[in-house]
Amino acid sequence: MTTATGTPITTRTDGNDPAGAMPLPTRRDEAWRYAPHRDLARLAFGPAPQAVDVPADVLAGIPQLGGPLVVMVNGVVDSELSQLESLPAGLTVHPGGGADGGDSRLAPHTELDAAAPVDAYDALNRSLSGNGVSVLVDAGEQIDPPIHVAHLLHPGDAPNAVCGRVRITLGEASAATVVETHVSVGDLAGGASVRTSIVLEADATLEHLVLQDLSAQQMLLARIEVNQHPRSRLRARSFNLGGRYGRIASQVDLVGEGAEADLAGLYSGSGDQVLDQQPTVVHRAPGCTSRQAYRGVLDDSSTGVFSGGIDVRPGADGTDARQSNDNLLLSRQAEVDTQPRLEILADDIACQHGATVGQLDPTALFYLRTRGMTEDEAGRVLVNAFADQVVEEVRHDAVRDWLSRRLGHDHD
Amino acid sequence: MLEVTNLNASIDGNRILNGIDLSVGSGEVHAVMGPNGSGKSTFAHVLAGREGYEVTGSVALDGADLLEMEPEERAAAGLFLGFQYPVEIPGVNNMYFLRTALNSVRRARGEDEISAREFLAVAREAMALVEMKPDFLERSVNAGFSGGEKKRNEILQMAVMQPRLAVLDETDSGLDIDALRVVASGVEALRGPDRSMIVITHYQRLLEHIRPDVVHVLVDGRIVESGDHTLALHLEEHGYRDFGEQDGAGQRLSGV
Repeated sequence: MTTATGTPITTRTDGNDPAGAMPLPTRRDEAWRYAPHRDLARLAFGPAPQAVDVPADVLAGIPQLGGPLVVMVNGVVDSELSQLESLPAGLTVHPGGGADGGDSRLAPHTELDAAAPVDAYDALNRSLSGNGVSVLVDAGEQIDPPIHVAHLLHPGDAPNAVCGRVRITLGEASAATVVETHVSVGDLAGGASVRTSIVLEADATLEHLVLQDLSAQQMLLARIEVNQHPRSRLRARSFNLGGRYGRIASQVDLVGEGAEADLAGLYSGSGDQVLDQQPTVVHRAPGCTSRQAYRGVLDDSSTGVFSGGIDVRPGADGTDARQSNDNLLLSRQAEVDTQPRLEILADDIACQHGATVGQLDPTALFYLRTRGMTEDEAGRVLVNAFADQVVEEVRHDAVRDWLSRRLGHDHD
Repeated sequence: MLEVTNLNASIDGNRILNGIDLSVGSGEVHAVMGPNGSGKSTFAHVLAGREGYEVTGSVALDGADLLEMEPEERAAAGLFLGFQYPVEIPGVNNMYFLRTALNSVRRARGEDEISAREFLAVAREAMALVEMKPDFLERSVNAGFSGGEKKRNEILQMAVMQPRLAVLDETDSGLDIDALRVVASGVEALRGPDRSMIVITHYQRLLEHIRPDVVHVLVDGRIVESGDHTLALHLEEHGYRDFGEQDGAGQRLSGV
């Protein structure tokens, strides 16, 4: 594989880093403070192992969206498992491996690639992931069926960590939904660094969903970069549910006047999971609005992290930015670390942020129990009601049904 | 039907109920009146099984020992508590809530779950009883409800769950005259020979609509006087000071 830009960087992080590679993040790096560094250090990144058998039940376990499906096994598109025949008019999917024929609509992504990597995993991703899969929507087209990119992680012994890459461009005044699912083949320890870059041209509308449900010893390091041009609209929903460590870091740059970014997410952890949300919205143009609304449910000794950035650059007057983070702790050992990161350098802006951390309301539990529910049932009803505020905002029935099953919800 | 004998309750070492004795026969409606802090709400919560109280004495419903039961078991045994402050549960719609509530007590009683069609009929009848709008079933439980809607919802739940004994905790508080009429007529409609009620209230005005068989005066966690409905009129005129209280100026103990 080749990289579009940049210098060769180490392909292994197992302690044999050649001089000049970026050091791995540590607890002292603010953005990585709560990550399980000991487990992360065991990841050895390398090219995807060859010839992986994917049992049919893996694909049966992901939401069946009925539209175009790109299956990536260890970061490489599997054309047999993918369903890319008879794509809707106006939609192009390049399955990567250099087959994009120099499509000019990918140029903005190349520009994004030219920026310095933000950390060692980002650097590794650029070195190892190649072009990845590209999803391109022509100007003025509205693609109704959701476009599903399923990332299957099947770690080998060494390397046990792989890189994936997704590029999405929506042309002017086009609209589409892209769903990225992260699931495991088997339960061997390992991880993936997946980088998604998204360019929304003027007046484009994208709904972008991320479903993370890796197995218990696996880790996802997802990084999502978005560039939004004038009046474009992003509706991003992340569901960070599985894995030893699930990290979803997004940076949304509002570069065009009047762009809107609406980000929300649910993280629901148990055992010793660490679920890390690192959204940042950068207001670079006037009159843009952004919303971050994340909810966490943490049981056992799991840890939830929310570090939400609102960055209002000089000249981004008339910015309207809101952020909220609400958490429910179900056990004494569970932990949540929440912090807003605000940097405001413009005038005439509205900016709100707030965070809550609470437990199940004993009066509400009692109320439900007097109506005949057991303590367990009552607790489940309240947790589901809390989580459903995010789930119910998902417009696609198949995704919502999958989430309801995954979260053990059984009601409308 | 209900036998309460020497019921005591304290919380964090503070005695709130001081030896309540009360006997409610089948089909009877008893009013429990008292000033703020007299233990009215604590009495209701202890009957329904709220955690956090140290409780001694005995409470038997149809001969079964309520104090040994979890709140949900008491519900299955036929006890219903109408809350003074009904809880808002955003994200849970009334349809699901009512159906789950009804089915959980049916299951506990060894009955089959209700079918969707039967349930809708039951729910619509209960909605009509308290004049609830048709969109009620789709709305979240009590979320964004007015004070009157919340209290009407309590009576609606009672109508769906068809309890043996309903304990209505200050169901009249915070209601305007129209809402009071709707709530009271709902309660009246649910009176019957097999259903008893304990109506807890500070004021007499609810009892103008629901005539109780017996009125009890609760002061400092004990019943100091019992009589017929004229006792309520006496209280309306003279306040609680005949019973050693400065008309509700006593220290508020229950905090509920």
